[in-house]
Amino acid sequence: MALDETLEALAGEYVLGTLAPDERLEAQTLVAQNTEFAAAVDQWTRRLAPLLLAARSVEPPAELRARILAGIDKLAGAGNTVVDLKKRLGFWRGAALAASAVAAALALFIVFKPVPAPAPGNYVAVLQPEGPGPAFVASIDLKDGTISVKRLGSQAEAGKTYELWAVGGGRANPQSLGVIDASLRIPANQLGKVDPATLGETVFAISLEPQGGSPTGAPTGPVLYTGKLVATE
Amino acid sequence: MDFMTIVLTFMPFAVGIMDTDLRQLLAQVARGDRTAFARLYDVVSGRLFGIIGRILPRAELAEDALQETFMRIWQRASSYDETIASPMAWMATIARNQAIDLKRRSAERLAAAASELDETLADESPDPESLAGQARDLRRLGECMQGLPNERQQLVLLAYRQGFTREELAERFKRPVTTIKTLLRRSLIALKECLDGAR
Repeated sequence: MALDETLEALAGEYVLGTLAPDERLEAQTLVAQNTEFAAAVDQWTRRLAPLLLAARSVEPPAELRARILAGIDKLAGAGNTVVDLKKRLGFWRGAALAASAVAAALALFIVFKPVPAPAPGNYVAVLQPEGPGPAFVASIDLKDGTISVKRLGSQAEAGKTYELWAVGGGRANPQSLGVIDASLRIPANQLGKVDPATLGETVFAISLEPQGGSPTGAPTGPVLYTGKLVATE
Repeated sequence: MDFMTIVLTFMPFAVGIMDTDLRQLLAQVARGDRTAFARLYDVVSGRLFGIIGRILPRAELAEDALQETFMRIWQRASSYDETIASPMAWMATIARNQAIDLKRRSAERLAAAASELDETLADESPDPESLAGQARDLRRLGECMQGLPNERQQLVLLAYRQGFTREELAERFKRPVTTIKTLLRRSLIALKECLDGAR
């Protein structure tokens, strides 16, 4: 009730799936920043979902069953994972301190995102430890050509520092992208040729290194985090 | 309008008989029970594939979407809350969102030169965890849909169930995109008023 009709309609069309990319971006930003809007989106989801329940049943091909059952076995063994961004967000949103930090970081990426480019424009990786420890959010913006990494959580122990690496995606060796203090912002051309087709294969890793970064140019300390990129907006 | 007919035909199946079983299966899946997951697949894959197929007629895309859907069900079963969503509505929304996402991505690949590209995360669409008990909602929604002019019913259904964009709707209905936008928004507001007023 608190929303005006324009926002209410925006929330509705967001759920309906008919927004233009710039409007969808606006809606996503609002979901992150405006609890009333987020609640309106939830309500629209609930209102429209019954429309799905009338679907006619269609048997999928028999071999798909085995593929899907095998798929969950792979998932179960995945360990340190490519984090499902939204799921993680939803999870964090409820968890007081981390929630606000992550939401704020992501809202920042979203708000500063330029107009959608004629190629997949932004990639975000959430690097999440298996145990306790800080999480990192890495994003690459192909449009303005930057990589941003933010640390969400505690600093490295005294005398140590976190270093970011790009691994795979055609690289023979891990490539250092720099040392992360609270955050790191580097030009995307440091990644070399940024090809959206292979960017998804690049693994980002963070290792614990001596102050000032790895002395050898390759990771020397333990690799604490790995994450892959997922395309976003 | 065929909307009510379809809904009424399928409603008992959709919201009644299987709910308890599905809740139980989801609870087992949440604990990592693979046998339960396989049973869940056997019970709901056809219906989810039906939902996906309306959005993705191409078989290989539809199969990918179904696989993604079940991966998500596996990963998220523990966050399913039966007090806010019927199991079928929850899974159906996941399937629908996966299919819409894949449709957008594939359209993007095909139209690499087009100016308007539209790529999103799979769950950019709202989380289905906040869905409510369905039987009454389903009936009410059917009634409220019938209160809309025929063309607007079609607009809403094509968008939501088949993933039509405004542009696709404009082409189908031979109307300007801006008109489609206006009609969609009016339809949504009318639906909201009808549904909220009926509480």
